[in-house]
Amino acid sequence: MKKIVALVGVALLFTAPLAHAQLGSATGTTTVSVTVGAEAALNITNSSTPLTATGTNFSNYTGSTGLTYFVRTTQSGGSGSVTLKVTTDFSPANGPSVGTPPSAGDKLAYTCSLSGVGTACSGSQTSSTTASTSVATFGADAHTVTFPGGDTATTAWTLTNDPKYKTGSYSATVTFTISAS
Amino acid sequence: MSGQGTSAAYEGKVRIEYAERYTFSSALGSGSCVSRPLERVGRSIMRLAPLVVWGALLLAPIRLEAQTLTTQTLQAVISPLGGLFSFPNSVTLSKTGTTFNNFTGSLAIQYRARTTQSTGGGTITVQATSDFNPANGPSIASPPSAGDALRYTCSGATLGTNCSGTQTVRTFASTNVVTLSASECTGGGGSCSSTDPNTVTVNFTLTNDPKYKTGSYSATLTFTISAS
Repeated sequence: MKKIVALVGVALLFTAPLAHAQLGSATGTTTVSVTVGAEAALNITNSSTPLTATGTNFSNYTGSTGLTYFVRTTQSGGSGSVTLKVTTDFSPANGPSVGTPPSAGDKLAYTCSLSGVGTACSGSQTSSTTASTSVATFGADAHTVTFPGGDTATTAWTLTNDPKYKTGSYSATVTFTISAS
Repeated sequence: MSGQGTSAAYEGKVRIEYAERYTFSSALGSGSCVSRPLERVGRSIMRLAPLVVWGALLLAPIRLEAQTLTTQTLQAVISPLGGLFSFPNSVTLSKTGTTFNNFTGSLAIQYRARTTQSTGGGTITVQATSDFNPANGPSIASPPSAGDALRYTCSGATLGTNCSGTQTVRTFASTNVVTLSASECTGGGGSCSSTDPNTVTVNFTLTNDPKYKTGSYSATLTFTISAS
């Protein structure tokens, strides 16, 4: 009997650590890791931008488009930009046109202003249907200042009021693009 | 006695010695002749006595074992316990979808637990024991923007109750992952869970703040299980 008890005791001594191992430990640690890369995003504040003429006759049509943007560029060697392009010219025909204006000098121009990180476009820019034009540029290690709201930018439009435009309502589509590297 | 052979003389010598000894104690030679063999037997017994005693002592345990019934009470004290194991060493948070979507990742924890009946309970908690580093990236303790956080939800706890809603990881305090009630135990079915080990999934979400500088960052989270 005593021999059996002794054997059982010895067996328990060996199994006790095993039971503990199966139970695990009271704490555990894990490393949470994340890789943060360059990114950029924007939102157009107003989905449509009416251009209107005020004041004297044949004064240009004006309006503005607001946008919020988020940008993060690479610490070393990074850069970024906001550009725009007229992806759909004014329609219907016989009115204003970015691609084929009725008079030389007719244009859809804009100026830029920023409230946040980056450098606004310089002076008055002329929009194009064939090329993107600048709204803002970012250097290396650029970060949106306002979060989560986002930094803001405004493009103030000016459309030539050419007497050759037939009366009517015309619309074009402008696409803004933000990029970061 | 003198006519005895050599051997007899030897024996006689012995007897003489005995006779001499008994001469002092008794004047009757015949009486001495009767008492000497008995004394030898007695002395032999005395000489053997220690052996007998030792033999008895040696044999006694064996005889006792064979004849005595012994009972032993085996008492198991079942204590509340909890343990984490098969614990992932790392979890990677990544971003999917559109830009500036939050970083997400999941961590599956395996655990076993047993809580005291009626009055017991337990928890699994998590705390950031090391904030994100290097600096200028995400931070739990001092994020670059108010509202930045490493948050998590809990799902699929097979023992206990998932944490409620969305929790925020802290560096200065533990936050709940699983709550164990009284009389809960791992495995075996019945009043215990049907699964062994138990599992719970922690789904992390890290704010993707544009203010984070580009690079790789890591933090250490410590999970703790307790049961009572």
